[in-house]
Amino acid sequence: MKGKKEDKVLRELFRQKLENAEVIPSPSVSTVLMHRLGRREFLRFNPARFNIWYLGGIIAAGAALTIFLSSRSGDNERIQPQQPPAEINKIITSDNLVSVPGQAVLQKADENNKKSVMAESEESVIQSEVENKINNDINNPVTGNGNVSPAGVTGTVPKNGLFNESIADKDKLKSGIRADGSLIESSVTEGCLPLRVKFSGKTTPKGIFRWTFGDGGYSNETDPEWIFDVEGEYKVTLNVFDSNKLLSVSSTIITVHPKPKALFEISPENAIIPNDDIRFLNYSTGAVKFRWDFGDGNYSELYEPIHSYNKFDKYNVHLVAFSEYGCSDSLIVMNAFAGSGYFIKFPNAFIPNPTGPSGGYYSSKSDEAAQVFHPVQSGVADYQLKIFSKLGILIFESDDVNIGWDGYFKGQLSESGVYIWKVRGNFINGEPFTKMGDVTLLKN
Amino acid sequence: MMSDRQIIEGCAKHDRKAQQVLYDKYSRLLLGICLRYSSDRAEAEDILQESFLKIFFNIKDFSGTGSFIGWLRKVAVNTSITHYHKNLKFRYHVEIEEYVSVETGVTSFEEDFFTSDELYKVLNELPAGYRMVFNLYAIEGYKHKEIAELLGIDTNTSKSQYSRAKAVIRQKLEKLEKLKKSYSAGE
Repeated sequence: MKGKKEDKVLRELFRQKLENAEVIPSPSVSTVLMHRLGRREFLRFNPARFNIWYLGGIIAAGAALTIFLSSRSGDNERIQPQQPPAEINKIITSDNLVSVPGQAVLQKADENNKKSVMAESEESVIQSEVENKINNDINNPVTGNGNVSPAGVTGTVPKNGLFNESIADKDKLKSGIRADGSLIESSVTEGCLPLRVKFSGKTTPKGIFRWTFGDGGYSNETDPEWIFDVEGEYKVTLNVFDSNKLLSVSSTIITVHPKPKALFEISPENAIIPNDDIRFLNYSTGAVKFRWDFGDGNYSELYEPIHSYNKFDKYNVHLVAFSEYGCSDSLIVMNAFAGSGYFIKFPNAFIPNPTGPSGGYYSSKSDEAAQVFHPVQSGVADYQLKIFSKLGILIFESDDVNIGWDGYFKGQLSESGVYIWKVRGNFINGEPFTKMGDVTLLKN
Repeated sequence: MMSDRQIIEGCAKHDRKAQQVLYDKYSRLLLGICLRYSSDRAEAEDILQESFLKIFFNIKDFSGTGSFIGWLRKVAVNTSITHYHKNLKFRYHVEIEEYVSVETGVTSFEEDFFTSDELYKVLNELPAGYRMVFNLYAIEGYKHKEIAELLGIDTNTSKSQYSRAKAVIRQKLEKLEKLKKSYSAGE
């Protein structure tokens, strides 16, 4: 069968030549690929990577959703609107004001006119506080104690004030309104995840303490310490009981800010120090400010800095990423340029100049037509290249990395076909290299 | 030097170093495959990138029982097929008639007469449909029935496309052979 045979010839020809043929990709392919990979890995959920961060993210999202929903459903949770930390302290009463008619007051509170606002809105604050208080206390085992009375309530208004850590306020409150004084003191009111807070209850009457931390945790100690390990806003409540009577109820808000994640990559991956401009690709999340320490005494606050080093050395690159709340995370890459970046590579084909031998001198610019067989390299100190014909005859030898083979042997242009090359030598850091391979001599 | 086992484990953990090693080790072979399925180098490199993204994200699916290279090849071939389908509507369809009448001489080609670059060029110049079928049948060794399923065409279409592809390739090679012989004779 002629047809079958022909088919086989053709098939064999292509199979033999192309089935395992290798083609060297352009260098840009690798760079672009790694960029795309980095981007995609971040967009994609991957259980194998950043487990904890995904988990944290999910929990945080869940917590945020819960908080959002509960604040929307209009119950009495005192959730403060998201504010920069300084503001939170200043507008203590804004959470109470939210339910009060007259949003303008809240607006003013934002403008740091704290004192006057307080004065102006004192009445309404107290009223709303009463409402809140009553609603709150309906759910609690209240025994008709005097605490529910407006006077008692007024006493609880400033207890938020204590959290502002404003001494003037505190003193004023102490001397003024604090009557039965079941008050919470905390070491901090906000901070970065994980947040450790020391609470202490300041109370004159002896009683049984019951703390609830708003994240499902509780304590019966007088001065408990609690660690919040999920971001969010927590309403910490202290109930003081005397036998079965509720003596007082106090609460405060603790804000736990999320931690950013510092992450970066160095490009190019096998950088040549000191020749290359090093690009630092920033993959940090939840951060707004960055500080880079390149390890050579230089710093940058850019998002993605480009830096070049003066000499080859061991450098630790250190990135600190800050969130808008001042929370930080850092990543250090020790000995970031571990590989020297030195390399030597040879092409697998060249097309000699048919007009005559050139002597093999080349530069990357002069040899764009690939007329000389030569390596691309960095950091080669000494070097010996030998090229053999298929029959094993040595037809070219060079000890100079700047002289390649022009394809001529004894003044004659060699046959097109495959030649074997072997190279050995050392890089300038003393690392030896030995490589061999084949090269195809092509003719135009 | 990392073994394939270590590379696979590293890549499964999305270790950047392992990914780089995998790329350095196999990108040339895979580009060699992609180039057979493309009309030019740029297209082949696009497919190569897609292939590596798939490899990196799906490396955990590699069972570890079969040949790793075989699996990599398969990803590259499948990505090439996907790419072909994606770009099908943008391709210029060549009239079949143009290629039908080819006399089939008893020419047998010397093994080393053509360089792989020349063979690549022949494949690159083929109409995309021919190229797909020829690659899958002649080089990858799929059956016509399998090719029909992969490309979403009829088994008979696969057969007839293959024989037309052969005819076109033969024609091109003969032309090239004549050209090369006259060149070396004139030298």
